[in-house]
Amino acid sequence: MVRMRKNICTLPACRIWREVEETMKLKNFAAASMVTMMAAMPALAETTIKIAGFGAASGVVGVFGKNSEAAIAAAVEQINSEGGVTLANGGSALLEYEYYDDRCNAEEGISVIRRIATTNALIAVGPTCSNVAEPLFGVMQAKVDDASDTGLQMPIFTDVAIKGGLAGISEWVFRNTPSEMTMYDALFDWLRETNGDAKTIYGGVEEDFAHSRYGWRTVMKAMSEKHGYELVGEAEWLLNDTNFSNQVRAMRRANADVVAISAHPFTTCGVLREMARQKVKPKVLIGLTSSSSLETLQGCANEASGIIIPTSFAPVNDSARAAAKAVDAKGGSLDLHSASAWEITLLLRDVINSVGIEGKAETLEADRRKIRDGLAALTEVEGLLGTNQRLPDGEAVKPFVFVHAMGDSWVLSHDPNG
Amino acid sequence: MDYFFAIDLAQSIIDGLLFGTTYALIGIGFTLIFGVMKKLNLAYGAAALAGTYVGLAGSLSFSLPPLAVFALSAFGSSVVGYFVYVGCFRFTPDNYPMASLLASVGMLLFIDELIIHISNGMPYPYPSALRNAEITLGDIWIRGDLIFVFLICVLAMGFLYWLLYRTPLGLATRAVSQQPRAAKLCGIATEKVNALTFLIAGFLGGIAGAMTAAAVGVLSPIIAMGLTVKGLIVVVIGGLGSIPGAIIGGLLVGAAENVFLLLRGVSERDIYVMLLLFLFLTLRPDGLFGTTKSRD
Repeated sequence: MVRMRKNICTLPACRIWREVEETMKLKNFAAASMVTMMAAMPALAETTIKIAGFGAASGVVGVFGKNSEAAIAAAVEQINSEGGVTLANGGSALLEYEYYDDRCNAEEGISVIRRIATTNALIAVGPTCSNVAEPLFGVMQAKVDDASDTGLQMPIFTDVAIKGGLAGISEWVFRNTPSEMTMYDALFDWLRETNGDAKTIYGGVEEDFAHSRYGWRTVMKAMSEKHGYELVGEAEWLLNDTNFSNQVRAMRRANADVVAISAHPFTTCGVLREMARQKVKPKVLIGLTSSSSLETLQGCANEASGIIIPTSFAPVNDSARAAAKAVDAKGGSLDLHSASAWEITLLLRDVINSVGIEGKAETLEADRRKIRDGLAALTEVEGLLGTNQRLPDGEAVKPFVFVHAMGDSWVLSHDPNG
Repeated sequence: MDYFFAIDLAQSIIDGLLFGTTYALIGIGFTLIFGVMKKLNLAYGAAALAGTYVGLAGSLSFSLPPLAVFALSAFGSSVVGYFVYVGCFRFTPDNYPMASLLASVGMLLFIDELIIHISNGMPYPYPSALRNAEITLGDIWIRGDLIFVFLICVLAMGFLYWLLYRTPLGLATRAVSQQPRAAKLCGIATEKVNALTFLIAGFLGGIAGAMTAAAVGVLSPIIAMGLTVKGLIVVVIGGLGSIPGAIIGGLLVGAAENVFLLLRGVSERDIYVMLLLFLFLTLRPDGLFGTTKSRD
């Protein structure tokens, strides 16, 4: 069989066909070019302002990062649907975001923030884990305008890493995390009023997780003692543990009125199940702020029933419910951590609008500085549960409520703000 | 020694021995594969976890009874184990043991990450059998679910013994384990035996994963690394390649872990377990029952 290329054909019919084909190609090319140019024109005219999110989007605490990313995505979508942000020249720009995974690992977190600093992102929102936040904040410039400090100069606004006092490490760092000291202070105060017969407390702590350890050792233990509870024992376990019988046996023997569990959902559930087996039934059961999440209910709703946790987010008003719905639509869940990411993104819109950034490549450093200064100047901002106070050291004091687990949801126990 | 301490000590040893059977099963899986192929499968714990998630999926989707969930976990792990064999051992060269070792490390990370992505790292409730049952001997409580875990693990070990010593498949497996070249010359399809070994080891791993999750009542990707590390400690102490060694090693590690927890607290517990491992590696590197001698 002979194969013949089309061009080899020299018959008049073939020539005519080739001319028609060439004409069609040119027409198609022209049409395609027009469509492409028309599509590209608005994009060329449109300025976008980038914010970067980062945190644990994979690994065993990956759900925190995924929820934060969903919250940022939902807030960005809402901002853009309302017209975006206003630039210094009076023009508008849309927000865009990119989320980076640090796997809750300090080295990766530092690497991620260095990478973000090389992009055109104006600010980084994150990280998830306190053990990442602490060393990461150390690579930032400690004091603004300190020429001898070559640390990174980029604003960071933390949504999840909750360990107290970290914002003081660098003047480029701001946090929208609640003050656990204030929350547990109010919780024990409230328990004193409502459970006056409870006198003793027993603490259980996930010893190898920074936030859990801090939550018990620095916060719950100190606050319970402040409110007159007698500490009758402590039990420790590790994040990977699967057997809690020894710890719960000691807890049972102590027979405390109040049991406080400072751990993340997996071991919280393991301990609660062991408590149920060994029939440990304290008058009051208290949990760590991070456990007021869907994870705990998913893991052990029955055993967690009644556990009281202070939280800076609960769907108790219209705006909180609307935010929860928007984040849910993005495949996430709004809890006290991801609610911070939502609030941060909306707050950034207001700051960008007020400080007047240029949004150009050559003004990136100046724009970042304007954002930092704008954030530093804030004293009060509106959050989902009310007014958040911004402190001079970059920390926040946020309104909070007490919730308890009931069935497959968290139910409001008490609102200290009335 | 006061009364409460004596009770705590006895309770710790009993709980540790009962829970140690899951370590023993994981150790058997490691040792079975090493015995047959002379290679370590570091993805074994992750494959066991993946199988346990298969069982969990069955539980969530079809509300299966606990025994069916455990069985599904075991079969799921068996299938994942086979894929690990195909991916990391079947086609890697025999004369480069590092190739399969590192491939299995890669597979461990891959499976672990895959599970985390699918489950979002969320803990899920895992069914337990005899959860509310208990035997009380004075002040000592013996958990019904741990007795169930113990019995299931003992049954699985019994099944393995029957398979290895009472069936032609077991004969072929032992032949390949002892003299792979001679076994091949006798017409035994060594690759088929290797694949079957992974299926059997995976089955045992699935039971271990299911029993671990059943004992806690919650399944989370966190347990993969624990299964791997405990399994390796067990085989070092028991002797790599020895099934009785893996059983004794598992029970020993389970009990020692609980006793160290009682005596020294959680922050020092693992130091002493690792010290035990170090002592075995330096003073008795072949473990309690292991041997490095080969007739080939």
